[in-house]
Amino acid sequence: MKRSELLSRIFITVAVLGAVGAPLFVWARTPLIHAKVAEDGGWNPDVIQANAGEPLFLKLTSDDVVHGFAVGQMDMQSVDVLPGKVSNVTLTFDKPGIYTFFCTRWCGLNHWRMRGTIEVSGSPSDHEPALSEAAEPLYVTLGLDIDAPHDALVIPRSQPSAISGQQLAANLPIDLSTDYYRAYSPYQVFDELPNTSLTESQSWDVVAYIWQSNTTNESLSDGQQLYAQNCAACHGENGAGNGVFADDLAASGESSMQTMAGADQMTMQTPVDFTDPTRMLGASPALLQGKILRGGMGTGMPMWGSIFTEEQIWDLIAYLYSFQFDYHRGEAQ
Amino acid sequence: MQSRFFLLLFVMAGLVVAFAPFPVRPIAPQERTFRIEAGQFAYSSSEIKVNPGDTVNIQLVSTDVVHGLYVDGYDISIEADPGQTKTLSFVADKPGSFRFRCNVTCGAMHPFMIGKLSVGKKVWFYRSIGLSIIAIIGFLKFPRRPVLITAH
Amino acid sequence: MELTRLPFLKSALKSRYSQLAVFIVMLVGYIFVILAGLIGTPVGSHNFSIVFVWIAWWAILILVAVPFFGRGWCAVCPIPLPGEWLQRGAVLNPPDKKPRWLNLRWPKFLRNIWLQNISFLLLALFSSVLLTTPNITGIVLAAMLFAAIGLSMIFERRAFCRYLCPVGGFIGLYSQTAPIELRIKDKQVCVVCDGKPCYNGASTVGLDVQRLNPPLSANSNTGYGCPWDVFPGGLTKNTYCGLCMECIRTCPHDNIAINLRPFSADLAKPSTRLDEAFKAFIMLGSAMIYAGVLLGPWGAFKDAAYNVGTSAWFIYATIFLAIIFAILPGFFWLMISLTSRPFAKHPFGAPIGRGVGVRKFASLTTALIPLGLMFWVAFSLSFVLTNATYILASLSDPLGLGWNLFGTANAVWQPMLTSILAPAQTLALVGGLIWSARTAQKAANEVKVSSVPVVIYCFITTLVMLGLLL
Repeated sequence: MKRSELLSRIFITVAVLGAVGAPLFVWARTPLIHAKVAEDGGWNPDVIQANAGEPLFLKLTSDDVVHGFAVGQMDMQSVDVLPGKVSNVTLTFDKPGIYTFFCTRWCGLNHWRMRGTIEVSGSPSDHEPALSEAAEPLYVTLGLDIDAPHDALVIPRSQPSAISGQQLAANLPIDLSTDYYRAYSPYQVFDELPNTSLTESQSWDVVAYIWQSNTTNESLSDGQQLYAQNCAACHGENGAGNGVFADDLAASGESSMQTMAGADQMTMQTPVDFTDPTRMLGASPALLQGKILRGGMGTGMPMWGSIFTEEQIWDLIAYLYSFQFDYHRGEAQ
Repeated sequence: MQSRFFLLLFVMAGLVVAFAPFPVRPIAPQERTFRIEAGQFAYSSSEIKVNPGDTVNIQLVSTDVVHGLYVDGYDISIEADPGQTKTLSFVADKPGSFRFRCNVTCGAMHPFMIGKLSVGKKVWFYRSIGLSIIAIIGFLKFPRRPVLITAH
Repeated sequence: MELTRLPFLKSALKSRYSQLAVFIVMLVGYIFVILAGLIGTPVGSHNFSIVFVWIAWWAILILVAVPFFGRGWCAVCPIPLPGEWLQRGAVLNPPDKKPRWLNLRWPKFLRNIWLQNISFLLLALFSSVLLTTPNITGIVLAAMLFAAIGLSMIFERRAFCRYLCPVGGFIGLYSQTAPIELRIKDKQVCVVCDGKPCYNGASTVGLDVQRLNPPLSANSNTGYGCPWDVFPGGLTKNTYCGLCMECIRTCPHDNIAINLRPFSADLAKPSTRLDEAFKAFIMLGSAMIYAGVLLGPWGAFKDAAYNVGTSAWFIYATIFLAIIFAILPGFFWLMISLTSRPFAKHPFGAPIGRGVGVRKFASLTTALIPLGLMFWVAFSLSFVLTNATYILASLSDPLGLGWNLFGTANAVWQPMLTSILAPAQTLALVGGLIWSARTAQKAANEVKVSSVPVVIYCFITTLVMLGLLL
């Protein structure tokens, strides 16, 4: 064999092996966390190990559509996980425990099933409980049955105005405390108002005022943002239960559950209409907290307990009541 | 000699059809609002028509995953998450037919998620039909004249 | 104008090393693209294989390579190389005197491009999946490489390229329009040439350059017979010449030239073969269908085209095939048969079907070759200009691992030149119509019929295409 022929053959062999080997080598050495819609498997891997106090470096990529990444109950900016791109995230966990990470951008009917866990090990540096879940939520303390019907027996004829309620309430012995507000539904408060000369609609205005005085504009706007990102796709941007997935949910029945394990006796329901006064005015903040924390148990309503902080849930609840009460009408401008 | 004259005539006619300003009937500009639902991989209302000068508001509603809407020619875009309607407002000051397309990767057929925006008449469609007709008449009228395209 | 007169070009074409260097780069690139398809991100628009094959390569192929260089892509295509090296048992050396593999002749009944028509249609029917799924693109590319190797083991020469390659079929068809050709210089030299080494291979016919008088080419000894199974001495059109340049090296008389010529020179002598005629319909029809399905505003068509195996897809596939094999050719046949007799004598009422044989039908479809090419140019302009920015992003991060090799990994998707797209498409389509009308006149002249129905047919299809694209 001529030398040129031999050298060519060697060169071709090396080039071909290199073209195969080099990409495989770098590919195998770059572990990525892949995001796919829940129907196609969600996060892979969906369990991540970490050590308390040590930074955790993650490389996230999406294999289909736009997703997002955030860790529940953690003060962090959510990170977009874009198709074909790699997002780098560095997390440091102070306390050991099991954390939930979840998808933050709606990616279909089963978006909220796209969750995974980060198992943070290590000895607790202090003796505080790892996650705020450890504290008993209010609805448990109050012993509420959050699945019981809770309709308001009387509803206002027009939307109650908090501003006119404030004027009316000036001389009334009413309880504005947070404990009182959270434990009772607007209808219960309406029903228990001291017997005065107020008309029915004036009484509702007073109730609206009590609700308003237990929130702030900041809370409401935080709640609004949480609502838009997490709730509006089903419950509707105007709270009317007619979000873009509402019809799909009702139509899907059990079918959308079939890919998920252990989902036997579930039936999807149409999302609740927050503009419906009978339902909303009969629900206390504590009851709503319970529903949000625990979820709808197979109705399609996700459980948010491992995602939202307690403060976020109260903000969200305050915002939900704004579909019933008018906090601005009559404002001097 | 005569064929040259006609050739020149045809070229002139072609230039007129290709570049002459399009006759427009002035129509009072309006404000128009369209609600466009975006789902994998189509827009519902995939064809919208407006008049030149209209103010166009496109409310983009995503019904499954995050989608976007990019208007060719105007080179403007928005993106919307499901549950968060976004509005794109612009003045339709460029006449013609334009594609609008998804600019947020939304799955396999994403590159082909396309709709059409017509601002007034489809200018280039009519121009090209005019040019084609002139060319065809030229060929049918002078079937064997020497042409510029091929020397031999 | 003879390009091979340029000393630089000629020595580059004659040297085996320059071609081998190009081939190795192409082969490495091809293998990398297969791997990127298999292990890269499954997101089509960000995967190197999809972006480089269906945007970058396709743009170069249809907008530059085919219209200007004919089979120029085949000249550098890496797919046949591993098979050919194994077949020859050498990379640079001359092949063995005795073939080391089966070396069968290709079966006679398949000596046409029907297999290429079928292989193209197979890919075309699955194109929505192929174009968007990196895995599938990777698998198809790998399958073509292995099919080429396999066929090289069984049959002689480049059987894959000549008879099976789905791309090669239409490149061959459209290469007739290109302003470049490989031809012999002097017919008489070939007539008296001993052993025809350009076709049979120098070593096989026992050619010894030193004994020739005068000894003309030192490379001839290593030459092997035309891989495309074409005798260069008989070349009259580009369709089946793969521009592999082997005959330039082999010819002991230096009688092979690469010429610059007018566009569409080959179309002056229309082909009378039905397989080539239907290739023209396949390409014309697919360009129109893609313009409607992929670039149109109708989501239901896209769903049907993508969801392979569903009943909607079967309907789509049926319509696809019906347009290509029935509607387009049927309409064409109807129009030419209505006017098949000389116009002046029987303006109307000529019995349908009389006088239109395969020869006339096939010859007249020559007019559809420039038309189809320009349809593809107009379609591709829209697709390519819209998505060209994906090239930047995937170039910097070819495996989707978060790299940023050239700082362009985060380049934002942005359609290019959207304001000149419509005029450019108009130019392509109207230009294509004029080009095909001119071709129709020549073809009609050859078979002595009126060109009017063909020109009108081209006009109507152009209107449909304009309506779909603009």
